[in-house]
Order: sequence, then C-alpha cells, then structure tokens
Amino acid sequence: MPRSRRSRRTLTVIVLVVASLTIISIDLNGRTHSLTSGVKSVANSIFSPLRGAVVDILSPIGNFFAGSLHYGSLQTENEKLQATIGRLRAEQTEKGFENAQLRNLTALEHLPYLQSLPTVTAQAVDQNSSNFTSTVTINKGRGAGVDVGMPVVAAGGLAGLVIQSFHNSAVVQLVNDGQSRVGVTSADGVVTGTVDGQGTDATMTLDQVTPRTPVHKGEVMFTSGLDASAYPPGIPVARIVAFHTTPGAVQETITVAPEADLSRPLAYVDVVQWEPTP
Amino acid sequence: MSGRVLLRLALVTLVLLVIQSTLMLSIRIRGVHPDLLWLVPITAAILDGPETGAIAGFWSGLAFDLILPTPFGLSALVGCILGYAVGSATKAVDREATWLMPVAAVIGSVAADMLFAVLGGIFGQRQMVQIDFVAVVAVVAVSSALLVIPVNWAMRWALFPDGTSRSLVSAHGTRSRPW
Repeated sequence: MPRSRRSRRTLTVIVLVVASLTIISIDLNGRTHSLTSGVKSVANSIFSPLRGAVVDILSPIGNFFAGSLHYGSLQTENEKLQATIGRLRAEQTEKGFENAQLRNLTALEHLPYLQSLPTVTAQAVDQNSSNFTSTVTINKGRGAGVDVGMPVVAAGGLAGLVIQSFHNSAVVQLVNDGQSRVGVTSADGVVTGTVDGQGTDATMTLDQVTPRTPVHKGEVMFTSGLDASAYPPGIPVARIVAFHTTPGAVQETITVAPEADLSRPLAYVDVVQWEPTP
Repeated sequence: MSGRVLLRLALVTLVLLVIQSTLMLSIRIRGVHPDLLWLVPITAAILDGPETGAIAGFWSGLAFDLILPTPFGLSALVGCILGYAVGSATKAVDREATWLMPVAAVIGSVAADMLFAVLGGIFGQRQMVQIDFVAVVAVVAVSSALLVIPVNWAMRWALFPDGTSRSLVSAHGTRSRPW
C-alpha cells in the first residue's frame, strides 16, 4: 500500500477522533452545552413525528399478536386493575379530609405541597433508549411547560427528574439511574439520607444514614425538600427492603426499592411544574 | 465519496435510526435491547476498508447521538474507532468468507459497547459502568450476529450504487476488491 494512502487514512481517523472529542467537550461543558442541546432539540423536533408515525403503524400489528398470545393473562390483569382502582377510589375519599387539612397547614407555613402544584400529564414514548442509562422519553416538552429540573411522578411515587427538554419531548432520568441522587427522609423525620440509583437495576441504596439509626424494613422514604433540594417535600421515593450495620462502617448499608413501579414500562407520568428555589 | 453514496448512506442511517428507536426498543431481554448502531461501521469497514468504516462510524454515531441521552459525540467517537479497527483487523482476511460478517459483528459490537461504557465512565457518566454487562454482551452479541445480514445488504446498496467493485475512498495503487 502506498505510504501517501496510509498517511491520509491515519489523518482522516485522527481528524474524526479530534472532532468527536471536541463535540463531547462542548456537550459536557456547562457554558457551551446549550449549543449541543439546541442541535438535539431541532433534531428531536424533526425526528419525533417520524418515529411517532412509525409507532402508530407498527403498534396495532404488535398489539394484535401480543393480545392474541396473552389474552388470558391480560384479562386477569384487567380484573386485578379494576379491583385496585376501586380500592384506591375508596382510599381517596377517606383521605380527602386529611389532604384538605394538610393543604391548609402547608399553605399557612408557605410550604410547597405536591397536590397543590400544577402538573403536566405526559405519555412515555420510549424507555431506556440506551442500554447504558435509565431514562424515559415523554411526549411533552417546553411547548407544554416541561423544563429541565422538574420532578416526575408516576405509578405510586417519584419516577425521576427532567434532564433534557425539547419543544415536543423531554428526557427523564429515572431514580434508579446511576447518576440519580435524591435527598429523603422518613415520615417521622428520624431517618434522613440520600437515595442513590444503581444503574438499570431495580434496587437502589440509601446512603448517609449514621449507624444505629432506627430503620425498619418496609419503611417508606419521602423527598425531604430541604434547602436547595431538587424536589418538593413529601413525594414517596423508595421503600426499605434490607439493611445491616457493618462493624466500623461510618454508615448503615441500606437497600431500597423504588416506590414507582419501574420494573415494567411506564405508560403515563406527571411532570410537576416545580423548580427548586436557588 | 460521491454525492449519491452520501445520500444513500444518510438514508440507510435514517432508516436504521427509526428501526432502532421503534422496533429494537420493543425487543427487550433482561432489560437490554439490540443495538444496530455498531453494525454500520463494521459492515462499511469490511465492505470498503478502514477509512470508509471510520467515516461511516463517525457520521452514523453522530446521528444516533441526537436521540441518545448519553454525551453528544460519544457514539461518533466509538463508531469511528470501531470502523477503523475492524477495517484494519480484517485487511488480511478473505472478505468473501461467509463467517466474516457475523464474527466481526459479534466481536466488534461487544468491544464497542465495552469501549462506550468505559469512555462514558471516564467522561463522568458513572451510571454507564453500572449496568448488567453479562446481559448486554449476550443480547448484543446474538442480535448483532443476526442483524448484520440485512444491514450488510443495506450498506452494500449504499456504498456501491452501480453494483461496481470500485472502492469509494480513492484507492490509487490498491487492487480492486472482489465485490
């Protein structure tokens, strides 16, 4: 092979590698991130309708085969869901009075209360688009008032946080993603710590809990809403599934499971239009 | 590369992008889905050499980066390294051998996923190394071995619009390739 061709080939690869590294640097730099974010936003605005159209065509075909194969289990699941809806309606009625009282109290104390905050309901269009992150893409974006940093609740608890927002869509980082950190507290305020995601795994860890803190299996942890917290207080985040104290350790080893059911694909989520106070 | 080839490559990348974000995301085994992205530089490198592999890997990676939540440019970086590596490693191999595409697809896709995760970790995305690697390797390896066949057809159509055997990256002094 002639030397000139080999040199040109090497030069091409070097140029491409340098170009890639430059783009990554621009993306990861806080001051220049808006450039790549803008490009992604434009691309998503063009690509989302195209993907939506393909999904609209393919979904009925897939649903037909899935439905015919799993008819029996779907019917059973539907019956169970109907029973759950009935039970939740009864609980909601019972809790109506308590909620009203709580709303009045929090209003008096000028505290944000989840049920008093506006929400945007969005449909999840795809989950975990990469094998390396735990995210979900929703079909509402800046055009519907969804912005970066807004908490997302779904299926019984905190689902995650909006990390990218485009005109017609947004990307939500789920609580079990390895980059996710949520400040939490127990209902009685005795246990406080940070729930850390552990990748796409269903379990997470509750960190920064000092040894000999009285923790209980099954105890639910809520967002603490402390100063500069990314979340309003009182959203159920996770439930303690196991804990133990390692001799000499500076913190308890606590395993928690997300309250929101992330083991199955999310269908609809509520984006809470709340932003942390600086 | 001619304008016609670039247009066809862009079209193939767009179609693969749509298939990846719709059909492939619905196929999940232990939470892992097949990945079409790495097959573009692998097939391009085997069909037309390391330089074409690197170029195809860079541009297809950049296109996939537009819809991925991972750092923008990371897929482009891994794609171009993968294309160059596959093209260089298969230079001495009979490229008409039937086993070459599936074997290159399995080894290349798994290596690319590992590199992608490690580089992501280096760039501060620690969640990228906290995944179930066994599941990712198994699903990506098996699916790549199967999916490389249709991707190879598509890439052959894109890279050789006249059905000729000429290399599209000017190759003065190199012997013509058998395809």
